[in-house]
Amino acid sequence: MARPVFWRSGAADDSAPRIAHLDHDRHLVEAARRDPERFEALYRRYLARVYSFAYYELGDHHAAEDATERTFLAALANLHRFDERARPSDGDGASTFKVWLFRIARNVVANERRTARRHPAAALDDATGAIIADPLDVEGDAVRRDEAAAAWQAVGRLPGDRRRAVVLRFVDELSTAEIAGVMGRSEGAVRVLIHRALRTVARDLGARGRGGRR
Amino acid sequence: MTLLGRDIAEVEALVTDRYLDSLLAAGETIGLVDAVPGRPRRGLTGGRRSVTALDEAVRLASARLTRDLPRFHPSFRFEERLAVRLAEAAAAMRLPAAAGAEGHATVVPFQPAGLPDGADAFTAFEPFDPLADEPDDERDDIALLANRPLLLGGAVAASAISLAGAAWVAWRRSRVRTPMGRAARAAHALRGRPA
Repeated sequence: MARPVFWRSGAADDSAPRIAHLDHDRHLVEAARRDPERFEALYRRYLARVYSFAYYELGDHHAAEDATERTFLAALANLHRFDERARPSDGDGASTFKVWLFRIARNVVANERRTARRHPAAALDDATGAIIADPLDVEGDAVRRDEAAAAWQAVGRLPGDRRRAVVLRFVDELSTAEIAGVMGRSEGAVRVLIHRALRTVARDLGARGRGGRR
Repeated sequence: MTLLGRDIAEVEALVTDRYLDSLLAAGETIGLVDAVPGRPRRGLTGGRRSVTALDEAVRLASARLTRDLPRFHPSFRFEERLAVRLAEAAAAMRLPAAAGAEGHATVVPFQPAGLPDGADAFTAFEPFDPLADEPDDERDDIALLANRPLLLGGAVAASAISLAGAAWVAWRRSRVRTPMGRAARAAHALRGRPA
């Protein structure tokens, strides 16, 4: 969780202190700035999150790996340009490094999508293989795979911004303020995006007759 | 949408947001297994107490997505390969200059097929910058072709020297300056004529 501290802004004539948030990655970022080889700790911490975001966006493991690689290489090369101070509008708990990293990932993924023109809904069907099978419950496994595939397809059919917001919220567990920072939108806009996305998913799943089944 | 309708939508969105916050908080507290689809990942009942006005359909959709959208982890081989690549990049960042960086290279733009006449690869499209906010809309694929300029340094110089050398040799061979050489050329020419 971010630690709020009082921070006097850089301008000399700005006498009013404002609250800034130093995120929990601060010591890792500082270490990586002093010694780039220490970047590995940040890499290990965020690898799965960045990879998952790319995978849900691109729908292909290889493309997700490419995007993940480019994201971390760009982050390492540009770490000196990262400004850890969050704005007050970022809200409590905002991790500025995480937001910065996901902004890079979002840009890389957007670029990758333009290259491949991939759509996640089709390829994510294959990901049902990732569901851990229970040898004692074959029928239950089949139902779970079916339900997971339906949920992934419903998410894949969402418009781009809603899909990104849902993936960042549910898969990467970012806060609304962090998602707003990643997507360059206001918190209110992100809340509405997610709410509308959930209503669309509910309608979609409900139309398949599985909306209320757990 | 009317002002009242917009307010209602924002309030509903806020209620949904609070519910999702409670889901995440419950998940952090309980620490349920991640990346295992088919198994509840977070405390789904944790947020229900605090939400009374939440749409049931939205609540069920949230529960479904919480359960069915796992976080994936790349392969161990990829993870280690990228770790090595990052370590190499980090080591290279410590060097003052990469080997050969002090030399000169000429950047020669090439014309990708389909690019409009008069446009070159550098002026037609901006190169990709991962730190600059990218629009999420689609852009023509030709932009990506154009973003890859052809870098030619020593190859151009070597080719030019080779061509110049060949031209010089041909020129030298066509010019005969000595009397002996002129006589030999005349004899050679006469040999080819009919008697």
